[in-house]
Amino acid sequence: MVYYITTLLVYGGIDAIACLGLSQQFGVAGVTNFGFIIFQAAGAYTAAVLSLPPDGANGGFQQYVLGWNLPFPLPLIGAALVGGLLSLPFAAIVGKRLRGDFAAVGLLVTAVMFNLLVTNFQPFLNGAAGLSLVPQPLQSVLNPQGSAYAWSYSAAAIVLAYIVYRFLRRITNSPYGRTLRAMRDNDVVADSLGKDLRSLRTSALVTGGAIAGLSGGLLVGFITLWDPQAWGYAETIVLFAAVIIGGRGNHRGAILGAILVPLAFEEATRYIPPVPNDANLVPALQWVAIGLLIVLFLWFRPQGILPERRRIIAGARGAAAAVPSSVVASSAVAVAAPAASESDAGLLERVTAIPVAVRPAYSGAAILACSGLGRSFDGVHAVDSVTLEFAPGRLTGIIGPNGAGKSTLLAMLAGTLRPTAGRILHRDEDITALPAHRRARRGVVRTFQLASEFKRLTVIENLLTPIPGQRGDTFRGAFLGRRYWGGQERENIDRAEAMLERFGLEALADRYAGDLSGGQRRLVEIMRALMAEPDVLLLDEPMAGVHPRLAHQIGMLLVGLCEGGTTVIMVEHELSIMDEFCDPVIVMAEGRVLAEGAMATLRSNAEVVEAYLVG
Amino acid sequence: MSAESGLRTVEGVALTVSELIAGYNGSPVLHGVSIGVKPGEIVSIVGPNGSGKSTLLKSVVGIVEVMSGTIRVGERDVTGWRSEEVARIGVGYVPQVDDVFAPLTVRENLEMGGYLLRSREVPSNVERVLGVFPQLARMLTRRAGKLSGGERKMLAMGRALMLAPALVVLDEPTANLAPAIARAVLQEHVRQLAATGASVLVVEQRAKAVLEISDRTYVLTGGQLRMEGTPAELAASNEFVESFLGGSVEGARAAGA
Amino acid sequence: MSLFVASLGFGLLTAAVLALAAVGFTLQFAVTNVLNLAYSGVMIVCAYIAYAVNAAGVSIWVCVLVGIAAGALISLVLNNFIYRPFQRRGTPPVSIVIVSLGMTLIFEFGTQAIAGPTNVSYSMSQGATLQAGAFQLTAAQIAIIVISIVMMGVMHLVIRYTRLGKAMRATAANRDLARNCGIRTDRVVMATWLITGALCGLAGVVFGMNSGSFGATSTDIFLVLILAAVFLGGPGEPYGAMLGALVIGMATEVSAAFIVADYKYVVAFVILIAMLAVRPTGLLGARA
Repeated sequence: MVYYITTLLVYGGIDAIACLGLSQQFGVAGVTNFGFIIFQAAGAYTAAVLSLPPDGANGGFQQYVLGWNLPFPLPLIGAALVGGLLSLPFAAIVGKRLRGDFAAVGLLVTAVMFNLLVTNFQPFLNGAAGLSLVPQPLQSVLNPQGSAYAWSYSAAAIVLAYIVYRFLRRITNSPYGRTLRAMRDNDVVADSLGKDLRSLRTSALVTGGAIAGLSGGLLVGFITLWDPQAWGYAETIVLFAAVIIGGRGNHRGAILGAILVPLAFEEATRYIPPVPNDANLVPALQWVAIGLLIVLFLWFRPQGILPERRRIIAGARGAAAAVPSSVVASSAVAVAAPAASESDAGLLERVTAIPVAVRPAYSGAAILACSGLGRSFDGVHAVDSVTLEFAPGRLTGIIGPNGAGKSTLLAMLAGTLRPTAGRILHRDEDITALPAHRRARRGVVRTFQLASEFKRLTVIENLLTPIPGQRGDTFRGAFLGRRYWGGQERENIDRAEAMLERFGLEALADRYAGDLSGGQRRLVEIMRALMAEPDVLLLDEPMAGVHPRLAHQIGMLLVGLCEGGTTVIMVEHELSIMDEFCDPVIVMAEGRVLAEGAMATLRSNAEVVEAYLVG
Repeated sequence: MSAESGLRTVEGVALTVSELIAGYNGSPVLHGVSIGVKPGEIVSIVGPNGSGKSTLLKSVVGIVEVMSGTIRVGERDVTGWRSEEVARIGVGYVPQVDDVFAPLTVRENLEMGGYLLRSREVPSNVERVLGVFPQLARMLTRRAGKLSGGERKMLAMGRALMLAPALVVLDEPTANLAPAIARAVLQEHVRQLAATGASVLVVEQRAKAVLEISDRTYVLTGGQLRMEGTPAELAASNEFVESFLGGSVEGARAAGA
Repeated sequence: MSLFVASLGFGLLTAAVLALAAVGFTLQFAVTNVLNLAYSGVMIVCAYIAYAVNAAGVSIWVCVLVGIAAGALISLVLNNFIYRPFQRRGTPPVSIVIVSLGMTLIFEFGTQAIAGPTNVSYSMSQGATLQAGAFQLTAAQIAIIVISIVMMGVMHLVIRYTRLGKAMRATAANRDLARNCGIRTDRVVMATWLITGALCGLAGVVFGMNSGSFGATSTDIFLVLILAAVFLGGPGEPYGAMLGALVIGMATEVSAAFIVADYKYVVAFVILIAMLAVRPTGLLGARA
């Protein structure tokens, strides 16, 4: 009886650790790693071969590498290390611009391949038979057969699970965790706001991998054997089921899932008396039930039993009564520019000039310039040999019919699209080869045409994400804890709240950004771009679908920004906006620049008038 | 005229839209719009971006969810019909984007447009459409995805023509086209469509250009009908200019209109 | 050398089974944009259904028809009641892959629950062994190859020359535009799943014939071969799938002749990973 309980506790702890690792990758960072089981397996094998004596021992019936006979806790540490290191090549696969489902399939296949390799290459890890007689931790000192040992192991498993839980909470409830979640919600936007996606995904994978390795090391120390059957295709699915059911993106949910699925569920079936003549029926039905649970949960409750908590940050000033907001689950449908509503018109009533941290003064003629810039695809020129200079502190407009290449030009300037020809200079330095996140750090920041808020972050979290120079925005910083980054975070929160107040939206601070109206989301996006402390702000149709009065106010805001030293470049359709706010205005057509100048001059340009103006 | 242009004469059909409320994901973009197209007319819809022009067209052809109101094509009430059913009663649609089958060749695109025809009728209809757009004859084996903007739009219109539709609906046909080509598309091709007797409903951003070929024009802003009239009536109206520029009329006039 | 030639024969056999499966899989993707990982699960269910009928005394070649019918029906139900509702809701593709994995568990272990964990095999005669030099195949194996070639021909005719084939190509290329041409795309999708489901069932029974004995999870590795063939030729491209099946089938068997037989599947895996990394649209697909 005692052994039954201790076994349950040990498995519970180990499963919790594994699920926590997976939840961090899948729920927090948004990486669907179907190869997850490999890391647990690697950890188990590593702990095994580190603690086993050289393979000639025990009559030499198994073949394996290493065999260093190391004492506890070294094999366990090795397990975690190997789990983490093995993640690095995987980070390379996941980073590629591959469709989510293709990448997931690639990882699944890799897991199967590893299993096959290990099964067949006998000298490595003893092939299909696997490893057995693995020494248990401290077995020379304590008696592994006694109940005291069993209890100690249980305690160790639970304590380790708790440590992992606290560790992950600390990492996730930090600016770095916020950045991971932003990347999960919309990676392209996170990239454009200065976040290095590759290094973020790598750190998420390594963290999860090390934790998985740890769970494997613990497991093998308990059951003293490990073979390829223990880590197949089906085992990965069980862990995913656990995380989905328990609640992805919520660490307590991961633990709950671990207890419910691998533990309770598999244990419960033990109590069902085996069907006479059919010992296999119950285990098989167990798998069927897990498959059914996956489908049912993804349909009825994709966020899991314990959904990700909404983080309430804003202080007493401005926080509205918490509105129970619906958790936006995994749907990611882009919505067409939403209709403007009358109430949006009053949003910017209280706008005053917004002080934005300004970068060192630039005394040249063109703070941003491009020469011969082009983007062609299969012989079609979306943008064809564009050469432009943008003077500092001006509000430049870019107009032209649909398909003229305006958005493509903007995307190339911001770095979210690679040009096929030409150069781009920022402050006289060539940035053509710089990826989007590096340009954002230099101060070249863009907004997007379609809805691009981080849906499952609150409004204020959206604003906090892009602030440069956050101490807590690195893994190390997050690890060092609130004491390290708390003060700066408090200041940043104050700045964000002040920004919200100036826009009159402080009541929305703790609402999920995905729940707002069209006009509100538009403003959040502009505020968010401002929080990135832009040097050059690139706006892609900021007024689309926005009520005319609000559009006017946004225009006034932008003028104020320029007076403060920021350079703004805006793609728009509304000629009235160009009239009122922009000087100069650039007209594009068929990928080329047709004309440039003040609106008045353009209106008398016959070609431009002919093509684009009315009246 | 018909023989030269290669278009079959069709009996144009009337389109009546009443009090249409439509939009995406339960949120309406159009707030009670009513328009009509008489048989054989060319009717255009203009307005600033985001005003709902595309949404109106998509509601007519069955792509967008209709929340309230009715749409009639001829005698039939097609409100809420699926787009393939609307196509089957003689409504041809040329969308603004994704307007061709990119992996298929030009010829295959045209043949696909004639899907509803009997297979022996297809070649003669392809010839007919090539009569309207002779440049396409040179590109029959090219993949549609590799055509230039103007060529693609021609193919898109040709594809819609295969069934000799009684009502042709075009969503910003001149988007992405150089001014000269845009002119040709509107003046020649769209006019020719109407010359066969088909009714034409066209949404355009280039208001000035499309006014030249329209019998009547509607102005849509913010999901509501702002004005309607013949091109002459509209051009003389201050309100018309204002609904586009959204700014002062005097300023626009003074700037040299 | 004789080993090499013999392996060519086996390669052709593997390619034959693989082609049936891969073409079905890739067409499902083309028309619905879903990577139906439960495909291998449906295959094995059909293999078992054929086994049940076979065990009742029916000739295995008649049971093939039963398997085909079962495959068509199950696949249609799978799309109509599982994938389509999730897609209508806007579920992202990655989550749908997870759903398909869940369905795989239901299919495979549901079968195991009913049929038991021990492997089964068809009662059939392999027929005479035909030998041409080092080439060595039984009559049954040759029949499988012939069936596969015939089915590829049939699919070619359907895709190229029938109205349904045209409608499938249009729906795969641009669904909304296909609807504007008057094509009832919902029916096209249903017909596609019926046809590809039939292929799936056929592939399942033939797989069973080819395997000697099989169990509920025997098609797990086979799914990876299918994926390799599909991605090599280009996801959504039926001719690509045929080409991919030939290459993967040959590559795995020929490599088995030269390197340790157990590793033959590794070749397939490596090709798959390489394609995903370098050219996810496949050899015959358009550049994305």
